[in-house]
Amino acid sequence: MTEPLEPQDGEPDATPEPDATPEPDETRDATPVSDETRDATPEPEPELDATLDLTSVLNAIPAPADAPADAVLVPLETIAPQIEQASLTRRAFLGFGVALAGGVAGAAVLGQLFPVFASAEDQVSPLVPDYNPKSKAWTFVVDTSRCIGCGLCVVACKEENHVPESAEFTRTWVERHTTMTDGTLYVDAPDAGINGFPATSTAPGAEGKTAKSSFFQPRLCMQCADSPCTAVCPVSATYKTEDGIILVDARRCIGCGYCVVSCPYGARYITPADEDTPASMPGVADKCTWCYHRITRGQVPACVEICPVGARRFGDANDPTSTVRADALAAGAQPLHPEYGTQPRVLYLGPTLQEA
Amino acid sequence: MRVADSTLYLGRVAVPATPRAARNALTREVRSMSVRERAWYALLVAGLGIGAVSALLALPPGWEVMGTSPSFEWGLLIIGYVFFAIMTSGLCLASSLGTVFGIERFLPFEKRHAILALLSLTTAFGIIALELHYPIRMVFGAVLVIAPSSPMWWMGVFYGGYLVVLIVEVWTLFTNHPIIHKYACTTAAGIGICAPVTLGAVFGVLAAKPYWNGVFTPILMIASAFVGGVGLLGIVFWAVNRFRLADWRSSEIALGSVRLLLAFGLLVVSALLARQIAAGLTSDVPGFRPSTEVLVTGPLAPAFWGIRIFLGILVPLGILAVPRLRTPTFTGVAAGLALVGILADRTLFVYAGELVPRTTMAGTIGYPYAEYTPSLVEIGIMLGAGAFMAMAFSLCERYLDMGGGDVHVFWPWPWIKRHDHDEHEAEGGQPNAEAAGAGAPAAVAGAGAAVAAAIAVDGEQR
Repeated sequence: MTEPLEPQDGEPDATPEPDATPEPDETRDATPVSDETRDATPEPEPELDATLDLTSVLNAIPAPADAPADAVLVPLETIAPQIEQASLTRRAFLGFGVALAGGVAGAAVLGQLFPVFASAEDQVSPLVPDYNPKSKAWTFVVDTSRCIGCGLCVVACKEENHVPESAEFTRTWVERHTTMTDGTLYVDAPDAGINGFPATSTAPGAEGKTAKSSFFQPRLCMQCADSPCTAVCPVSATYKTEDGIILVDARRCIGCGYCVVSCPYGARYITPADEDTPASMPGVADKCTWCYHRITRGQVPACVEICPVGARRFGDANDPTSTVRADALAAGAQPLHPEYGTQPRVLYLGPTLQEA
Repeated sequence: MRVADSTLYLGRVAVPATPRAARNALTREVRSMSVRERAWYALLVAGLGIGAVSALLALPPGWEVMGTSPSFEWGLLIIGYVFFAIMTSGLCLASSLGTVFGIERFLPFEKRHAILALLSLTTAFGIIALELHYPIRMVFGAVLVIAPSSPMWWMGVFYGGYLVVLIVEVWTLFTNHPIIHKYACTTAAGIGICAPVTLGAVFGVLAAKPYWNGVFTPILMIASAFVGGVGLLGIVFWAVNRFRLADWRSSEIALGSVRLLLAFGLLVVSALLARQIAAGLTSDVPGFRPSTEVLVTGPLAPAFWGIRIFLGILVPLGILAVPRLRTPTFTGVAAGLALVGILADRTLFVYAGELVPRTTMAGTIGYPYAEYTPSLVEIGIMLGAGAFMAMAFSLCERYLDMGGGDVHVFWPWPWIKRHDHDEHEAEGGQPNAEAAGAGAPAAVAGAGAAVAAAIAVDGEQR
């Protein structure tokens, strides 16, 4: 059974000499005993103090044999619960501190693994100084009457953006539409057009047929105003910038492929392993960004810059001096497959599918 | 909780606390099994092994071990996920007739449906985790950033909530929490409708895939979910009847209910499928007709007519229609074939949506059809998924109390005859033999009162 360390009002003094009673500890006095503690303590039992400090504990240690007669002598077992509670309190404090530190560290790690907000250090970041995205109306114009199918645009894109070398994974490609003399139409894109095109169509079934007409059609992300890829992304890893460019945050993409199947223009793919990829991360969605890292710094996309015949043209339609503004307003400029209803922002000049 | 003799006692549950004790316990268990049981578990362990190896190969962002490509991005694992996920809903929908609406002939479904639903959803989540390249990001991303425009996000919300509700339902099924159980059953039935709708919307909103696109896709998903769930219940209750598992006498009632629900579900699915095919063949939406023709006359036609239509619909309907074939065995066969038909349906649905390309995909033209062959890893994961579910349920049958359905009807409809479950319980749980009626096996001692009442209803109908 426990006994009180100090005498309580109305109780007999447990100490041998009244004047030897230690001074009440200030900390102890300042700390009220909780209601729960009171409730849990049986009425005849003295109250236990759960907040003993070191002084009170030391005072409770039995004095040695040669100690003065007026020393406080309390059997150790009588204060064992207090010591235990003090120890628990300290342990709880340490545990709380460890948990807090662990939580902060965990949050920091999670923040790195699962970033929510874009950073200026991102490889493709919209946070470029002195760039006002709201003032831009970026427009891409493709003139199919000029394209010669050389494939340099595909090469430049892969080099500029670390797109995988394999022809299966391309951000931009060139396809050829050929109408035969018998009226049949074939589309081919050998190796995505990266090596140019042979004289005759490579499409299955086109062998031996005579071509009546053909044209090359460069393809890329349409940066749709009403884009299904941004709408369906379950984690908002695909997002649209203020200037209307659709980007993929590779650190948040889960690789579900929903955007790939949702794109009616086939502009997306999942990055493969064991190849150089734009974000050095396999298994995430990737697509053409119109070289966002370039256009926000006053340059044009790599494919536009390298095109030897000016079939790819790019600029700000809000800029009155921009050539694409005139192209966009030109008769015959039209988006590819407007029937999909996604409001694509790439305009095509020259022959279309029906006019081949 | 105490430890004694290398065994950890948690209440009434004893768990081997050392490897040696575990080995001894396992040896005792295997020795107690019949040869047939050992063969069954060995088969499942082999399947689990194949699945585990395949999963390990697919765990790193494992694009290269899958057979998919930009032209055919969703393959066998998506098929498997949809199959198991909608089956969860079907199980809850079928059993809700008893647990929510109080129709007594469906009450025997209660315990097994809850466990099957939980296992089916867990299996579906396992498959989709291996399909996703970064599944952990899904958990954090979906919580940190709300994406209400994405059906997949909604699907995650509903199926995530579904998992929690099912866990509660199973937990309360084996503990004494009848009020919580009532609400869990009702909530599960509600989500059982909403969840496949969101899953159908994942496909239905895609204008880029005309065969998937449309408002009928979620409806078809609910209907096929229902058939899938009922089909699984049919197989399980056939096994309960055949191998005299716990509470096997109620399986007669359960199989009768399966016959009823299966016939209804197959007819509804047939009508919706016919509408889909007719709409596709007469549609002028670009890409819809070619995709449908691939099914009807193209490379998918043998599987469509042979497995989906003949084996998956016509044969089960024929079995269900012939009175002489209304036996547990033939009901099990019909249910199994219906389930095969649903698996074929999910497969053909995914294939038809992607097989006919409408455009060049990331520089590749799939002409005339996109190419996709499931890799061995994908097939292994699917085998492992099936083995996991079968193994887990077999263990539940072996170690859990599957008998004596403790039924809690949430919403007793006034026009439905209430069973006298409470009265029997007060009398010591003995069934009322008089209520069973002539020919009903309700006089069996130890059978649950609710089951006895259900048998009585069946006896009266006969």
